[in-house]
Amino acid sequence: MILIKILLGLVIGLIFGYILTKTGITKYPRVMGMLRLKDFKILKFMMTAVISSLILFHIFGDLGWLELSPKPLSWGSLIGGLIFGTGMGLLGYCPGTLAARIGEGKKDAIIGLVGMAIGIFIYALLFKPINEIFLSGKVNGDIFQLIGVNKWIIIIPAAIIFSGIIYFVNKNFSDNKKIF
Amino acid sequence: MDNSKEWHWFTGGILVSLLSVATYFVFEALELKKYPFGVTAGFGYISALFGNLFGGLAENPVIQKYTKNILEFFLLIGLVIGGYAASKQSKTFSPENIPATWEKYHGKSLTKRYLVVLVGGILLGFGAPFAGGCTTGNILQGWAHLSLGSIVAGMSFFAAGIVTAKILYPNLGGENDTN
Repeated sequence: MILIKILLGLVIGLIFGYILTKTGITKYPRVMGMLRLKDFKILKFMMTAVISSLILFHIFGDLGWLELSPKPLSWGSLIGGLIFGTGMGLLGYCPGTLAARIGEGKKDAIIGLVGMAIGIFIYALLFKPINEIFLSGKVNGDIFQLIGVNKWIIIIPAAIIFSGIIYFVNKNFSDNKKIF
Repeated sequence: MDNSKEWHWFTGGILVSLLSVATYFVFEALELKKYPFGVTAGFGYISALFGNLFGGLAENPVIQKYTKNILEFFLLIGLVIGGYAASKQSKTFSPENIPATWEKYHGKSLTKRYLVVLVGGILLGFGAPFAGGCTTGNILQGWAHLSLGSIVAGMSFFAAGIVTAKILYPNLGGENDTN
């Protein structure tokens, strides 16, 4: 089993890293360009992946082929999210692109990896108070259960809104303009 | 920045979603878990290895959880190899100490960049498990499930990232050429 896990991990990571680098979304000026709201290639990439997975996951879910597991909502989503976002702005990478960037030979990404491991370690040390204060009041993250309507009534408008975002940024911003 | 050999965002996006869905099926078939892949757990494995060096942390729930994440650790190694393979293949492999964009605005000082990166990394590492996942787990996967937690987390990522980027690069120059 351990061998399967190692191989599976390597294969998934390799494909994911290959796609990230090949699509050019690991580039520092692209990440910063997105955060400066000038270059939206990453957003378009992400939204395309989200729309496609959204539809596929829920079709397969309806067919009973897989079971979905929405993430719960807590204060951690907001506060942890803001801390993460600040880190992402300082680094110019998120964890996935950080790893792929190490492969591309960018040395600062290695320092980022060390920092990331330290950050998780600090989180582990502080987990008890964090859990009590921020994560204890979890709300079920399943939007469909919460609202209680047929899920396609939410999925289809969500897909349309995401497509609208892609359409808007694609129309108004170029992927290859020099920003910095 | 040479963008000519890049894949279109649509191609990349569709491929990532197919990878997500395929992974989900494989994980479920192998009864590993009922959620798609994330990247944070791989970094967590490194932290757990470090944490296990100290006897007192064996009971820590976060360390305990991440100790099991051998798959994610190798996923992380796979990501590095994938980045290497893709950049070699498209001949964009270019070792550098600091991103050129950074150098243009903040100078050549390695200490300055590495310090910012270290702090950024620590915040990223601290924030990811706190928020229930990183960009991969919360946006690529969590938004696709329309999870409430992920929608709030993903928006918080962008909100804080946009403010930080504005502080780092308040004025932008260059309009005509490509980066």
